Amino acid sequence: MKNTAANKSVNFEKAMLLWSFTWDADWVSAVSFIGEKHFAAGNNLGEILIWELPEKPEPLGESPSEKSKPADKSERPLYLSPKPVRQMVGHSNIINRLLCAENRWLISASNDHTVKYWDIEAKPSGMAKHVLNARTIEDINRNKNSGRKPPTPLEAEVQTQDALKIIQGKEWIIGASLSQDETTLITGDDAGQVVVYDRKTGAEKKRWQVKGWAFAVAISPDLKQSLVSERYPLVFDSGRHTAVKLWDVATSTVQHDLSKEFKDMQIASAAYSRDGKILALGRGGEGEGKIFLIDPSTGKKIRELSPIHQYGVTDLCFHPDGKHLASTGRDTVVRIWNIEDGKMIKELGKPRGGQFKDWFHALSFSPDGTRIAVADMAGYIHLWEFR
Amino acid sequence: MNNQSISGECKKSEHFSRRALLKGSLATGAGATIPNWGGLFHSQSIASMAQKLGKRCILLWMNGGASQIDTFDMKPGKATAGPFREIQTKLPGYKVCEYLPKIAQQVEKLGIIRSMRTTSPDHPDGIYHMHTCYKQSERMPHPELGAMIAKYLGQTDADLPSFVRMGPTGNAGSGYLGPRYEPFGIERNGNMPYFTSPYLPAANESRRNDLLRFMEAEHKKENNADAYESHRVAKERAWRLLKAKSLFDTTKEWPKHQELYGASNFGRGCFLARKLTEAGVPFVEIGQDNYDSHADNFVCHKANMQILDPAWSGLLIDLERTGQLQNTLVVWMGEVGRTPQINNRAGRDHFIRGWTIVLAGGGIKGGVVYGSTDADGRDVATNPVSEGDLFATIYTALGVNPRTKHFVGTRPIWATPEGSKPIKDLLL
Repeated sequence: MKNTAANKSVNFEKAMLLWSFTWDADWVSAVSFIGEKHFAAGNNLGEILIWELPEKPEPLGESPSEKSKPADKSERPLYLSPKPVRQMVGHSNIINRLLCAENRWLISASNDHTVKYWDIEAKPSGMAKHVLNARTIEDINRNKNSGRKPPTPLEAEVQTQDALKIIQGKEWIIGASLSQDETTLITGDDAGQVVVYDRKTGAEKKRWQVKGWAFAVAISPDLKQSLVSERYPLVFDSGRHTAVKLWDVATSTVQHDLSKEFKDMQIASAAYSRDGKILALGRGGEGEGKIFLIDPSTGKKIRELSPIHQYGVTDLCFHPDGKHLASTGRDTVVRIWNIEDGKMIKELGKPRGGQFKDWFHALSFSPDGTRIAVADMAGYIHLWEFR
Repeated sequence: MNNQSISGECKKSEHFSRRALLKGSLATGAGATIPNWGGLFHSQSIASMAQKLGKRCILLWMNGGASQIDTFDMKPGKATAGPFREIQTKLPGYKVCEYLPKIAQQVEKLGIIRSMRTTSPDHPDGIYHMHTCYKQSERMPHPELGAMIAKYLGQTDADLPSFVRMGPTGNAGSGYLGPRYEPFGIERNGNMPYFTSPYLPAANESRRNDLLRFMEAEHKKENNADAYESHRVAKERAWRLLKAKSLFDTTKEWPKHQELYGASNFGRGCFLARKLTEAGVPFVEIGQDNYDSHADNFVCHKANMQILDPAWSGLLIDLERTGQLQNTLVVWMGEVGRTPQINNRAGRDHFIRGWTIVLAGGGIKGGVVYGSTDADGRDVATNPVSEGDLFATIYTALGVNPRTKHFVGTRPIWATPEGSKPIKDLLL
């Protein structure tokens, strides 16, 4: 994503929830801004929808249905959420990652074994209808004894668009990341294949095999190093396998093996800072959602951030100013961290109560860094603004 | 297939009692108990027919409960489907999970029950129930399937144990059948328990055993009585075990079979099971763990199926190749199924209202899909099968009368609960 306003002053303390976009067809699993005015979200069904953010948003009324939004008990969004405008058609399974290049190209990685490229400026190929609260209606209709009445269907008609480019893999593609300059794409799949592509052409530049399933992947700003975490979730028999390694991209050899340091940890998320001097790692799964800052040149731990996410981390994203990091996880909380001193400076959202209450799957900063979009498995995309 | 069953009732002498317990215990050279080594007293009149049939049973136990929707009863396009996709099997119109490609090629050997509706929803009670076909809450020590098979299909004078298991398996043991039919547990990789290793070098052990034999023979001659018969017989059997111990060692053969079964402990266990049943062990159970996926169900199942698929299909292929399949029943099951609903931990919880068990080989019609669940997999739609029905089917396939009666004290107990019916559509 182009950093259009990296120096724009952002006050993280003053965060406001602008919208909670309803999309309750299945879990919302991925999100990415596309420029300042659009964002894309993907779900477990393999659908990708695009929303256009209005210049003049409509304030949220006092309708009972809006009041009862379960997404965040502490916060009500300021504005009525507009409906999606476009659907990217072609995936058939979970969207694991959405990435954006040049504020125009959307790249998606999926459990359907493919990476797909989409041009947000391309002409649509057709139309499709969606019911944005379909799962809620289905659940209520199925549990007739609940006494609840199904809400009015939230219908949306969207333009459809086919993928411009398809890269075929052989397994679930869980990890995908763009380099800082957006020239290079790295992916990792459950067959243990790590592949580095020329982002523009989709041409394969490098490929290597790791022992386990490739989980989180990231490539350094200078394109020389990559982080690959591995997992193989068997508890018994052949034994659980986890690994965290820093690879030399040119030679496909291990520079630093951090597996002992992160023994038994499934590192679910990784991101290099804009200057390449810090690598952030987030522990996934249902264990403690720890976040570590690493010096990628040595592989040594710089610090561990505190407080931890109550359960696993699902996504990490550096702010365009290069000084802050956002994290989210299975506790439905977003945290903004100051990289320099490791202190948390803002928390967005709240745990929904009890144990294991839903996940925030992914997050994305707007190019100017004033907004953050968050994918909520409960069927929302939340969008906060920092003022 | 000969469906002849044995309808014998237990002899009084076989009832669970202190005497039976003492008689059934075998001591090894190291002094530990070795159960189910043939038998110290006889139930041959009951078991002889089944033994003649040469039936065997291998139970692949999916500890924690495998998900039916993610394996054999997929619901594509439904909210309950999950991320796995279907692949076509050899059976027209029948599809299984994409991560069971090798089993998909063996489906003509499988009898798939998609309509298990059971009554014990948790692990300890489910494990008990699915190993005995009786509820744990009845407070009666019911024998496991393995113990029953050991009793009716085991050879009383065999050198090998008649009920072997490895990995996470049953929790009921031999129950009222007594310690003679207790399982003989070995390690996941097939290694024998530590107590089967003699303290002494072989030559010393042999001299010591000869001395013991001599002393006991002298005592018997001088006193005209065999005061130590039980002990002597137990020792003889323990010595026989040590001689047969090499059968459990797969070190040399495993490299040749690893590709077929997959390079895993579970695969190796399946290979060992094939070896043991070929050598005459009537019942072997191998457990595969890690199915209790309340969280992250799909990565757990995907990893498990990648172990299971080659191991199970390799076992079926190997049994067929060695001419054993028609007499060896292979059962694939766990204690529960998993919920159609995916919870907010990306998991599936325990489910007993409509789940899947698969039978194959001895006595079972292959290429049969029995029963069904509704569109979302939330309940059985046709042909519900209970625990008792399943066991009646297994016993019938193995030539054992499912209404065989045993006595615990004066109380009669049947092999399967009242009303249990074998699934005729699955039986040859």
